Amino acid sequence: MRVVVLAVISFITFGWVLIPVRAEGISMLPTFESGSLHLVNRAAYLNARPTRGDVIAIKLAGPHVLYVKRIIAMPGERVAFVKGQVYVNGAPLAEPYVRNRRQWDVPEVTLTSREYFVVGDNRGMRAADHDFGRVDVSRVVGKVLF
Amino acid sequence: MVWQGRETGDERAIRARIDALRNDINTSTTDGIGTLAHAAQIGSYFTDDVTIELGEGATAIHTRDTLMGIAARLQPRTAAFRLDLDDVSVEMVPGTAAADVLLTASFVRRSLSTGEESLDAREFSLVCQKDGGTWRIARVTAIDTLR
Repeated sequence: MRVVVLAVISFITFGWVLIPVRAEGISMLPTFESGSLHLVNRAAYLNARPTRGDVIAIKLAGPHVLYVKRIIAMPGERVAFVKGQVYVNGAPLAEPYVRNRRQWDVPEVTLTSREYFVVGDNRGMRAADHDFGRVDVSRVVGKVLF
Repeated sequence: MVWQGRETGDERAIRARIDALRNDINTSTTDGIGTLAHAAQIGSYFTDDVTIELGEGATAIHTRDTLMGIAARLQPRTAAFRLDLDDVSVEMVPGTAAADVLLTASFVRRSLSTGEESLDAREFSLVCQKDGGTWRIARVTAIDTLR
């Protein structure tokens, strides 16, 4: 009986609440190495909203392939990159998780009430090679646990 | 299993076609047929007047002939890629021989020197049409998940 209960709890936990994911690619370096394993907590935002600095999983067509990015700007805020420095509502954003910075320039955008601005931690790549930008809240699957 | 059971025959046929397209693209280096024949095989999954929009900065591809030409030219490069398709959803358009498809395409590239793989995933919407009893792709549009 204990084994069955344990199996059911494991099935629910790792099938629905904590989703195991493997990082692929270099856009989240140095925080996540390519090939490293992590868990996505789908329950993280049931009673709380995502916040700046959270690393989140973002769904594409479905839940089997996910983007993993960090939130740098919240709904309603203005965000821009000037020579690699992020500005939120005109103020520079401290980002201790970023090691290398290229001189990215991205014109200021204003987020809607349903949008977050997400980007990977690896700013040493060319901006053109890096997927980042506004994401609708409906695409947020959960918070990535370290 | 319940979800599979609710699928119509057309939905299953569309999934099978998309799966076959993926297999044909991925077998490009080992099947032994010529480049042009292989490009024609890939082209057979699309309608004559197919439009493929790959997003901002990329020129749209119009017509199957253009697509086949591109497929033939790119084959030496695409041989280093593997295509995976995940989260394929099919929605029939009521009263028509058409269907909307949503999927995630992952392009897995293997470095010839190190053997290391890198992955680039994108979301696409497809419009499929039944043409002479065969489902073909009439439109491919890249979706900007992050805008």
